Amino acid sequence: MQPILTAQDRENLVSPLFKFDRQFWMTIAVLSVITLPGLALYVRQLFLGLGVTDLNRPVFWGAYLVNFIFLIGISMAGTVISAVLHLLHIEWRRPITRIAESLTVFGLMTAGLQIIMDMGRPDRLINTILYGRLQAPLMWDIASLTLYLLTASFALYLQLIPDIAFMRDSTPENAPTWRKKLYSTLSLGWRGNKEQWTRLEKAITTVSVILIPIGVSLHTVTSWLFSTTVQPGWKSTILGPYFVVGAIYSGIGLLFIAVTFATQYNHHLKSYITDTFYKNLGWIFIVMSFVWFYFTLNETLVVTTEQETLEFPVMAAKLFGEFAPAFWGMNVLMVATTWILIALKVPNKASSNPLFKTTTGLVMTVLAVVTFIALALNIPTLHGAFVELGLLIAFIVFFVLALLGLTGWFQAHLIPSTVIASAFVLFGMWLERWNILMPTLTHARIIPYTTYFPTVTEVALTISTFGILTLIFVVFYKFFPSISIWEVEAGRALEIKNGG
Amino acid sequence: MNFPMEKPLFQFFYWLVNTPGLGSVAIALLVGAAVTIFFLTLRWIVSAKNEGEEGLPFPPQH
Repeated sequence: MQPILTAQDRENLVSPLFKFDRQFWMTIAVLSVITLPGLALYVRQLFLGLGVTDLNRPVFWGAYLVNFIFLIGISMAGTVISAVLHLLHIEWRRPITRIAESLTVFGLMTAGLQIIMDMGRPDRLINTILYGRLQAPLMWDIASLTLYLLTASFALYLQLIPDIAFMRDSTPENAPTWRKKLYSTLSLGWRGNKEQWTRLEKAITTVSVILIPIGVSLHTVTSWLFSTTVQPGWKSTILGPYFVVGAIYSGIGLLFIAVTFATQYNHHLKSYITDTFYKNLGWIFIVMSFVWFYFTLNETLVVTTEQETLEFPVMAAKLFGEFAPAFWGMNVLMVATTWILIALKVPNKASSNPLFKTTTGLVMTVLAVVTFIALALNIPTLHGAFVELGLLIAFIVFFVLALLGLTGWFQAHLIPSTVIASAFVLFGMWLERWNILMPTLTHARIIPYTTYFPTVTEVALTISTFGILTLIFVVFYKFFPSISIWEVEAGRALEIKNGG
Repeated sequence: MNFPMEKPLFQFFYWLVNTPGLGSVAIALLVGAAVTIFFLTLRWIVSAKNEGEEGLPFPPQH
């Protein structure tokens, strides 16, 4: 059996992994600058304790736990893309499965860091292991997280073995010895005979089947940390499915961004990761946006309608209280996302009408942002029912005109528009996690209401977290191919066999 | 109605979920089982012997 990819194809995929060029070091430098201040502040937190944060009773969980849930959520991308699409034999999945699976592993690793950050005395972590009880939802979460991380890492490794063997056999002569040893060890002596391939495919299929329920369990068990309490806003049966939907939604968003980042980094990847991926996964993205809106409406409508004594103040804080900017900001971002995604699916006929001019859209976007900020800041000079109503109407008009104006641009720029929509989803989902945690913690039952605002330490560590996530991504793909070479080759072979 | 705690079964469940350290034992068993299965799977894959061609670039059925 002859290789389908040409020697040049293989060279394009492998040679960038051995070039530590200026672009790579610049990326590392920028990410280090983003990451280091947070790490320095963490050392300070370690010495001074959690007093450097705004965490205090009853707000014992803050930005760190918001990050934890958010990162657990985005790790769902690997499960959906790799496992589900693999089982359904969806062909366009092939070039992006590796990135999807690695995002799961990296997301879970950085999520685990949040728990350490959230502990004033991380040296006492051992006590959770020594004295952990089965009745504690935190133990269930640790069990689920550990199992998911192990299984996702195993799935990633299984899929990597043939490519590591290929790297072992294609390492340039001048490559460092340790790198040759690394590939030699990790390839486990893979020879690529028929029986090995058959067993590998069986194992990948089995792991895909196992990975889906474990992934769903992690996202639901995380929600049980909240819904097994009696706190208003948390004791909801829909929280589990709501977490899963949000996880898939944000996971796909991160996948779009990561794949685009990888193709910008190595232009040769563009011949493998084509518009088809953006178009097809875009449909799933649209479906998830509708499901997410439906669940948000469900949660909001039920609590608002019943107006239960303890529950309603939490919801009121989100609808028109101190959490209104985050709640409505999240909804505005998600509406914009859905519009962009739908605009990408309809024919491009939006250029002749003056309403659909890009300049009009940009001006209206600026006006919409300004009016939203004015509403969010609740500026005292603007107080008054009519002024606020006027601002609200102005914002809605500007927002609608902005979306209409930019429609033509969205339709003409598939990839940038998808990345913008994805960024909106990621930010919106972070806000959603914030809106689940913070209104309840600041409006807990029995004790007086309080406030919470992240300190510089918490903000810096949040930024560091995303710096670390990107850093792991960049370094990992300097050692391993970012697309699965053998999977792409198998896809091409299948195309040829089917007369494609 | 409360749990019928006078019954041995419920006393056992109470002991099971409330004893410090048992949660960690459960996690250790879970992780141990997973790691063992993954290790054995890897060994099963790479130990496959075949008389035919080697160095196939992708699964042969494609």
